[in-house]
Amino acid sequence: MKLKSWLTLYRLLIRTSIRSRMQYKFNFLLAAVLAALIQISEFLMVAIVLHKFGAIQGWSIYEVGYLFAVMTLSKTLYRTFADEVHHLEKYLVSGDFDQLLTRPMPVLLALMPQNFRIMLGEVLQGGFILCWSLGGMMKGGQVSWTAVPSTLFIIGTGAVILFSIGLATATIGFWTTRIGELQTFTEDAARTAAQYPLSIYPKWMSSLLLIVIPVGFVNYIPSLYILRGELGAWVLAASAGVAIVCLAASLRFWRFGITKYQSTGS
Amino acid sequence: MLYFTLASKAYARNLQYRGAHMVHNLASAMFGFMYACIWIGLGRDHPLGEYGTQGMVGYIGFTQAALWITSFISNGLGIPQAVRTGQISLDLMRPVHLFSHMAARECGQIAYQLLYKSIPIYLLYFFVFSLQTPQHGITYLHTAAGLSGAAYLSICLNYLIGVSALWTTESSWLYWGNHALINLLAGFFIPLEWLPGPLESLAWMSPYPYLLYVPTTVYLGYGNAFWLWGTLFWCALLTVLCLLATKVVRRKVEVQGG
Repeated sequence: MKLKSWLTLYRLLIRTSIRSRMQYKFNFLLAAVLAALIQISEFLMVAIVLHKFGAIQGWSIYEVGYLFAVMTLSKTLYRTFADEVHHLEKYLVSGDFDQLLTRPMPVLLALMPQNFRIMLGEVLQGGFILCWSLGGMMKGGQVSWTAVPSTLFIIGTGAVILFSIGLATATIGFWTTRIGELQTFTEDAARTAAQYPLSIYPKWMSSLLLIVIPVGFVNYIPSLYILRGELGAWVLAASAGVAIVCLAASLRFWRFGITKYQSTGS
Repeated sequence: MLYFTLASKAYARNLQYRGAHMVHNLASAMFGFMYACIWIGLGRDHPLGEYGTQGMVGYIGFTQAALWITSFISNGLGIPQAVRTGQISLDLMRPVHLFSHMAARECGQIAYQLLYKSIPIYLLYFFVFSLQTPQHGITYLHTAAGLSGAAYLSICLNYLIGVSALWTTESSWLYWGNHALINLLAGFFIPLEWLPGPLESLAWMSPYPYLLYVPTTVYLGYGNAFWLWGTLFWCALLTVLCLLATKVVRRKVEVQGG
């Protein structure tokens, strides 16, 4: 089949997924409220620290807000389309993965639209913090409107990087079946760490967050250029390059891992 | 005796997964390590109140270890799962009170998490960050009392979350909501005195500070053993609430699965 027909199929599956979610409107709303509450408490933890101490290692409230917002929005984009990659363990443990293998389409394409998540709470919250921090910096003359397209660009490349990290982690599940522990490390801990400027961490840890689990390229490295004019415009190209390399590598790894899949469950 | 058996079975069941849990401990320890790094980074530019950098690292080390006995316990004590499968109807038929039955089982789980999660994680931080230990023997006694009270409070909170599964299929959102409140109001990452005024007052009106903040500050010597009366008060109040909730539950059994 051609790419176009894959896309049509993908759109159809997403529509089906949304329709199935909307059958339980009350539960959908409840989950949205919950997500917003968790998001707000997460941001409050950062905000309270900033409120108390002003700046972190020379990074102002607006700058840290920006790091937080870019990370939130990238993660939202990744989880909206590929939440099931993050929840692959469920399929591996129950044996439901077998079903996906029998579909006449790439497994990833069958997996991703299983649950298209509408993450309204995260979009609103991330968007609000982004507008607030960019607005604050524009008023102070730190950045100009050109920061807006660059920001949208890095949210996109960031989502690709987070997706690649998620996919590579999930692939390890083909050997270990359980991946929850590893995800805590590669997805949750790494992402939480990158909500703060990486310069506050010891050298080995910031290198880890740039080279092994490259979450630093989602928000920290690009914002060095976008917000502070450090490094140079090539940083944006480099972030995109990192995103492409990560995606290619993780897709390759996924294709290799899938050949090692052994069914479990009953 | 029955309760002891329930607890020891829950403990023994977990022993099967010791290896996996040890790997998980490394991931959990990473989180605490990251939080400690944030405070060390902040401590370079700012004096961190009466704690100081080393004090804050000790604070994070202790809360991160204590989490495993006072916060991260079974989602709703496993009641939502029982409602889903229909097991709840059998549990309610037993000649044991539902609350004490569930609480005893969770005690075994908590004992396991104390031995295989909290203690290894704390030992790791102890050596990595060269943490200090309290100087007075009585502090250990107060800390143990504070932690036991906190574990019991957590059981009560999760019981209330668990029984809500009889009314809604989405009781897990309450569990996560509870976590969000722990992050914010229990002193999980920021000591309560640094919260903005209204939030701090709000925290002290809730049972949350007694889950983490009180045992931790008592252990580190910044706190006041007098606060433990607060723990006792909340334990009593939540026990009454749990008993009342069970009364209502007995009249409203709705089995989802079979």
